Formats: sequence, structure tokens, C-alpha cells
Amino acid sequence: MWAMILKEFLELRRDRRTMVMIIALPLVLLVVFGYAANFKVTDVPTYVVGPKAEQVAAQLRAPFDVQRIDPDDTEQDGKDALRSQDAGAVVVTTDAAGPSTVLIDGSNQFAGQSAAAAALATNGMLKPEVLYNPDLKTSWVMVPALVGMIMAFIGTIITAIGLVRERQAGTLEQLAVMPFKASDVIVGKIVPYFVLAAFDMILVTVLGCLLFGVPFTGNALVLALGAALFLFTVLGLGVLISSVSQNQGQAMQMALMTMLPQILLSGMIFPLSAMAAGVRWIGYLFPLTYFNMISNGVMLRDAPLPSLAIPLGVLAGMALLVFTAAVLRFRRDLAPAAPKAARTPATARSAR
Amino acid sequence: MSANPTSGAPEALLVADHVTKRFGTFTAVDDVSMHVEPGEIVGLLGANGAGKTTLIRTLLGLAVPTEGRVLAFGRTPDRTTRRRLGYVPQGLGLWGTLTVAENISFACAAFESAPPALDPALDAVQDRLVADIGLGLQRQLAFALALAHRPALLVLDEPTSGVEPLARARLWETVHAQADAGTGVLVTTHYMQEAQQCDRLVLMSRGRAVAAGTEDEIIGDTTACEVETDDWAATFAALDKAGLPVTLTGTRVRLADTTSDTVRKALESAGLTGEVHEVKATLEEKMTVIDRAPANA
Repeated sequence: MWAMILKEFLELRRDRRTMVMIIALPLVLLVVFGYAANFKVTDVPTYVVGPKAEQVAAQLRAPFDVQRIDPDDTEQDGKDALRSQDAGAVVVTTDAAGPSTVLIDGSNQFAGQSAAAAALATNGMLKPEVLYNPDLKTSWVMVPALVGMIMAFIGTIITAIGLVRERQAGTLEQLAVMPFKASDVIVGKIVPYFVLAAFDMILVTVLGCLLFGVPFTGNALVLALGAALFLFTVLGLGVLISSVSQNQGQAMQMALMTMLPQILLSGMIFPLSAMAAGVRWIGYLFPLTYFNMISNGVMLRDAPLPSLAIPLGVLAGMALLVFTAAVLRFRRDLAPAAPKAARTPATARSAR
Repeated sequence: MSANPTSGAPEALLVADHVTKRFGTFTAVDDVSMHVEPGEIVGLLGANGAGKTTLIRTLLGLAVPTEGRVLAFGRTPDRTTRRRLGYVPQGLGLWGTLTVAENISFACAAFESAPPALDPALDAVQDRLVADIGLGLQRQLAFALALAHRPALLVLDEPTSGVEPLARARLWETVHAQADAGTGVLVTTHYMQEAQQCDRLVLMSRGRAVAAGTEDEIIGDTTACEVETDDWAATFAALDKAGLPVTLTGTRVRLADTTSDTVRKALESAGLTGEVHEVKATLEEKMTVIDRAPANA
């Protein structure tokens, strides 16, 4: 029995990927659930507009984090700030007596819940009005996020497994000796996964809207642009994972290791604003974080294009970087380039 | 033409010119030169790990030589040269989750060629998944696909590995038919007895091409010892115990790379008797001589 136990330990010690999972996974989970697993939002960026803005702002307490006070701004200015997510709550004051209305961004569910609860606790000073998700339904927030998660699943896991299967079967080598251009093979391998992921995206979006009543208020083309950039990134990630995996099990293991932190730290489950700053910045490294911003903004808030410029720009950068690296890596497998230092036969012979 | 430095023949389809391939500090192929001309079958022979597959991959353009150069049809292997090449890898390179017909359709689309005429046995399983048909049929299919676009050069990596004798004979029949039609064939094998099927051989050992030519040319005047004895089992055991490279073919005890005096002394020490003759070595025995030679010899 001891021999068996010892053999198992020796095998585990030499399986570096499993060792990384054994050591890194508990650390990741500890960090995530210690610093990120928090549904309570303590700071809601708040604008105060209208003639009594200064007076009302002075009375606001946490979680309202007053960032701008502008007596000249109107209710419409406040709504625009919410749509662009420049603010999570906007207090609209008037000259009339009675409570001021606090407009709350319901597309950010936990911040919205926190702000609504705080407004109700002001003894009538604030009257909450939740926009974009009036009933603060979880399904309305989860469906746009699920769209991204499903695309990441197909793009990363299924692509990586499909490519590794080709390499394992030896058919990738067969493709390399066929008269295809390297780009033909790369595009031919990736397009089906792109199409399937796009189909799934449309299916989940349509079913989400039909089954859960999730609104689609924005421009479908903006969502399509964000989805395309996101897909290029996750497909590239899948190709890169396949290039460093010896078999499908390893590919699955690595792909899951990229998926798990994305799901936990992208703001999909735990609000980014409730995370400790260090962990939140880890979340900003993941493409799913930016796609969530786009899908949530387009579907629930009809977010204007300029307000999505940052997530779209970051995704475009990530797509360019990851997809280019993946194509170069894939191309190297198919059509290796001559090393710069390769010597000619004459010089090689004279060197001997 | 400088394309064929090893023979000077201008028509070589494939040329390796002082090719070396290293992986880090490990040299898998070491300064190998060889060529394949139209209509000839060149056998690349060597034990497992001799560097045959790495050389084939380099010749196909799947790996870049660290030193030296490779020319296919007079140019560096590229997409154009691949169009004139048929390749059957060790693993056959078929898509197991596609049917036979789908595999054919894909390969023909890739090479822009007409579908090949199929053997009746293969024709009967056109709608079955390749993974579900036998290895023999899979091998037939791989050959049919490699030949469908009428390649000028056929590269076969261990094509008879794991194939039963009758199928192996049929496969060589196909290879000869192709060579007779003018196709150049490069075939790797570790079965020395298949050397007789080739017009010319290149023997590889430890990454180097250690001998080239016909079987007779390679063996040259190398001899082996054959022991005539009634007690072949005891003789074999005694010579083996003495550390000599003894082999048994049927009940014939043979030794490569050994003098008859050494064998006689070993038999005497073991208290055995037997007639020791020096005979012409086989290719396998020549390979043993080469393999036992010091690495830098």
C-alpha cells in the first residue's frame, strides 16, 4: 500500500499542471471568496441635480457617495449620467416641498438594491425610482452576463479541445502537408466555432428576452461589435491553450483555469464595486468583464456608444493581441519559418 | 543543377543537402544528404529513434533544418510543392469522425482532384465513419487519398507498421505500380526485410546517414558468423552470456560484428562444440555492426 501511495505522490509531483491546480486553485478561491465575494455595495457614485442640490447633498449618507453636485442640471441630465454609468444614483431636487426623487440604476443590481434600501431609510427625504430594471430582477442582470459566459465557454474550451483533438489525431500534420495556405487552415478551423458561438449568443439573448422578459433596449449592432471583439479574444485564448496542451484533458484543465476566475471576478456574480481594489483590478484583466459592461449596457440601459468606448476599446486591444499571438503560434505549427541563423550548406560544411 | 549535390542528377524530386536538425542540445538528424529521383523507391531504414521521422518531417517542410537545406521539386518546400506530394503518415492522417466518403471529399477538394477509384471493400463502407472501419481499410483509404491527385512524389512513413503479411504485400504492389508509373517514392521502415523492395537504401543510425546504396552495396564484404550445432538453445544461451551479439533465425545461431575465433573461444569456454562459418552478413547484421561502432567512428 505504501508503495502505491508513494508512486501516486511521485506522479503528482511530476504533473506540473495538476500541481498548479492543487496549489493555485485554493489560493484563487481564498482570494476570490475572501476579498471579492461580497454582495453588499457600500459606495454608490451619486449625482445631485436641481435647485436644492447643495442642500440635499449635504444630508446624504452612505452608501450615497456624492461625486457631483450641479444645481443647473436637469432630471434628463441625471438620466443621461445613469445611462452612461457615470453615476449609480441621481438625486433630483425641485423647489417644491416634499421628498426628492432618487433615480437608481437597476442594471447594477446590488448597487441598486443598496441605494433603494438607503433611500427608503431616509424617513421620506428620498423617494426611490429604479430605472432599467425596476423590480431589480436577478434574471435581467444575469442573462446579458450569461451571453458572454457562453461565448467564452465555446470560444475557449470547445475551440481548445477541438484543436488539440486534431493535433492528437495527427491530422493537423496532414493539413500542413496539404496545399492549403496557413491562413486557410486557421480561418477554416476557427470560423465554425465563431459561427456556433454567435448562434448561441443570439439564441440565449432571444430566449432570455422571451422567457424572462429581459428588455433589449439598445442597438443590436453595438452588441454585435462587442460580441465579435470578445469572440476573437476568447477564440484566440482557445488556440493558445491548444498549442501548449498535449491532450484534451490538459486543454480542458487549462481552459477551466481561465474560465473560473473570469466568472468569479468579471462582475457577473459579485459586483465589481463591492470587491477590494486589488481583486477588482484582477477582474479588469479579463475580457468577460468588458463584455459584461457592453451587454448589460446595450440590453438594459440603451447605453450610448461613447459610454461604451472604453470596454469596446479594451476588448479590441485584447482581441488584437491575443488573436495575433494565436494566429502566429498556429501558423508556426503549420508552416515553420526558417530560423534567421540557419546556415547555408557551404558555411555549414566549412564550419565542420 | 545544384539541386542534387549527392548524385549530380538534375531530375531529383527531393533533396536533402547536409541537413541537420537539432532540438536544443539534442541532434535528431546530423548532416544527412540524400535524394529521390522519379520512378525510384528509396528506403529510409533505421531502428526506432534513428531520426527517420524527423528527417521526413524536415523533407516535407513540417520542420525547418537547423543547418543545410531541403529542396522539393527544385525549391524550398512550400504550398506549390505540396500540391505534387502524396503523404501517408504513420498515424494515417485520416479524420476518424468523418465518413470514408467525407474524408475523400475533403482531400479531393484540398487537392482539387477527382475522387479516386476505390477498392470494392472500401467502396462498400463509404458511409461509415473512418473510426469504425478496420485498420486495413483505413490504410487503404490513406493510400487512395495520397494517390488521388497523382503525386509526383510519394512519402510513406512506416506504411507497413502493424499490417498483416498479405496486406503488406498488396501495399508494396501499389508502391511498385506507382514507381513504375514514374512516381518517386520515399519510404521509411524499420523492417530490414522490406529493404529488398527498394531500389536504393539510406541507412540511418543515431541521426546520421551511415550507409547508402543498394542492399548489396551496403552490406559489401561484411560477414557474420553462423554456428552449426545440434544444441542451438544451449549455444545461443552460452554466446549470449558471453556478451556477443547473437541472434536466432529459426534454429540457426548467427552473430554479427564478431570474428569466428571469438565465437569458437566462447563455445570452448562454455564446453560446447559447433562448426563456425563466416557467411555474408544480412542487412540487419550490417546494421548491428554500424550500431555497435563507436559513435564518432
